Amino acid sequence: MARRSALLFLGLASPAMLICSWSSGFIAELCFILLVMAFPAALITLAVARHGLGPLKVPLAGLIIILEVGGVTMLVLRGQVLEGPWFGAFPVAASIQIYGLWLGPLLLVALAYGLTFDRWELPEEDLRRFNARRSGSDGDNKE
Amino acid sequence: MISPVNPIVVGSAVIYLALVTAVGIWAAGRTNSAKDFFIAGQNIGWIVTAFATMSAAFSGFVFMGGPGLMYSVGVASLFICIPVGFTSGLLCWVVGKRLRLLAGLKEIYTVPDIILCRYRSRRASGLAAVAVIIGTIGYLGAQLQALGILIEMVFGTRALLGELSLPAAMILGSVVVVFYATAGGMVAGVYTDVFQGLLMVVAAVLIFFYALRSGGGLEAMSRSIISSEAFGPNHLDPFGTLPVMTAVGFFFVFAVGLLGQPHMLHKFFMLKDPRTLKWMPLVIGLTQSACVLIWLGIGLAVPALVAQGRMAALANPDRAAPQFLLEFTPGILAGLVFAGVLAAIMSTADSFLNIGSAAIVRDLPKALGRQVRDELLWGRIAVVGLAVFSAVFAYFYKDLIALIGTFAFGTFAAALAPAVAIGLNWSRVGATAATASIATGMVVNLGLEFLSKQTIWEWLPSAPLKMGVLPAAVSLAASFTVLLALTWLSPASHKPDLDPDVDFVMNL
Repeated sequence: MARRSALLFLGLASPAMLICSWSSGFIAELCFILLVMAFPAALITLAVARHGLGPLKVPLAGLIIILEVGGVTMLVLRGQVLEGPWFGAFPVAASIQIYGLWLGPLLLVALAYGLTFDRWELPEEDLRRFNARRSGSDGDNKE
Repeated sequence: MISPVNPIVVGSAVIYLALVTAVGIWAAGRTNSAKDFFIAGQNIGWIVTAFATMSAAFSGFVFMGGPGLMYSVGVASLFICIPVGFTSGLLCWVVGKRLRLLAGLKEIYTVPDIILCRYRSRRASGLAAVAVIIGTIGYLGAQLQALGILIEMVFGTRALLGELSLPAAMILGSVVVVFYATAGGMVAGVYTDVFQGLLMVVAAVLIFFYALRSGGGLEAMSRSIISSEAFGPNHLDPFGTLPVMTAVGFFFVFAVGLLGQPHMLHKFFMLKDPRTLKWMPLVIGLTQSACVLIWLGIGLAVPALVAQGRMAALANPDRAAPQFLLEFTPGILAGLVFAGVLAAIMSTADSFLNIGSAAIVRDLPKALGRQVRDELLWGRIAVVGLAVFSAVFAYFYKDLIALIGTFAFGTFAAALAPAVAIGLNWSRVGATAATASIATGMVVNLGLEFLSKQTIWEWLPSAPLKMGVLPAAVSLAASFTVLLALTWLSPASHKPDLDPDVDFVMNL
């Protein structure tokens, strides 16, 4: 289900981004941001959701929320550097870009990968099957 | 303005160049086969691989092009580098494990090898090799241009040689990088990458804090920039100086397009043990983020110093980083950072020399049904040819380093990312869809880039794009569209005939 949804999203988002590229105005910009920010999470879902998303549901939802909310907020705050509030030494839109879009996903994504690696990305059983196949293929292909 | 030659900076540069030359000589004795030359014998540990991946990805583009672009367009330029927060995870999840496992079962040295293995199509693999060669010329050209600018500033050759200074400096830098790339191949490449990666991280962190101090702190720099006439408030607005389509297009190309970058994908083939992928995203993400501090630090400090009247406005934005280092940092720190920047440039250049030569002597002949007899020898010859061609291209293309880099990154992204990233995760994608996607990405990107830059033939139309839309973003989206549409349009009963090993790995 998650894989199908990811494929459907990717299939619709790619041409929709092309349409946005030849359109103008706030709606086209907003759509472009929404599509671009969800694209990485859709690719990850396609890759990891062979048996559902398992423990990756929360970090992937977190990634989508950070990127989507950050992107849209920056768009809404466009042109308000002088009158808007400041946070962490920058006007708020720039601080969302730096602290939110850059530093926000850094530990979330990397830790999610490392902490779920042994039971979700490459479990012992998969590794054992791979090693068995590799031993069998040594004479045929390489190594 | 050309700053006087600083003996400490010159000394650091000379020591650095001597060290990497020594690594090349050491590695030459350990390079005995094509497997050693192209994938370091598939015997590399995860720390080395992580640093090699990071330092190959980060280059003159980040260390010199980045601050230059930030000087020109402000924080909008950060959309190129902020995806590093999640791209290492994206890379490992989407392609990393499958690339490494496939390289353990089949003889895979290159991205076109992967395409050939996955799709069993010499046409798709040959097109991928052409894309790799074109992108390599652009990327390598950007590195050699950055190397030339850096060397001429360090050694002060402009005062001596005038207009000949840049080509002379490009030749000097190219000779060193070509030497260790031809002698030691990927063995030299990955070990110099570790040394270079460490140097890059230390240099970037130190210079970030020094830049903050020079400019009076982050907030003082921000306020100087927005209140100056030269830069103004838009400089610190993420969508202030560039159209949304350009800024977010950068984000799209540099986040998703990463999945088609051969210099990064290539590193997964070398990894000794697939289990060590576990902490690679953390190490790559943290070290890349540390390196991006130089983009942010110098990128803010230089416009702030110009706004404060403490530095002259720059005629060439690409000189932001070296000019700052020469004018505002103590000799010893400038020396360390110059060595770090040299490291960043050379580590990427040597990766591309290796990848490009593999495309010329392995992938293209394979796609044409031929095999080069002595791949090691011809690989070394191809390295020299590529370096010369790329340097000439960059010298005459005459664009900012970051923009040449964007073109090259975009070429790889549009041509290779969909076929690799979707193809390794969806068994229904067939050779026809992959071939069409690679051709679309390459032709659209080259075509749009050519039409938007060329001024020779006046009768040719300009690129049919709205202002601010990136050719690379359009071509990447088009390439995904073609791959997915053709796959869906193919009859469900027509499932591609997968290699059993590929099928096995795709189902793990």
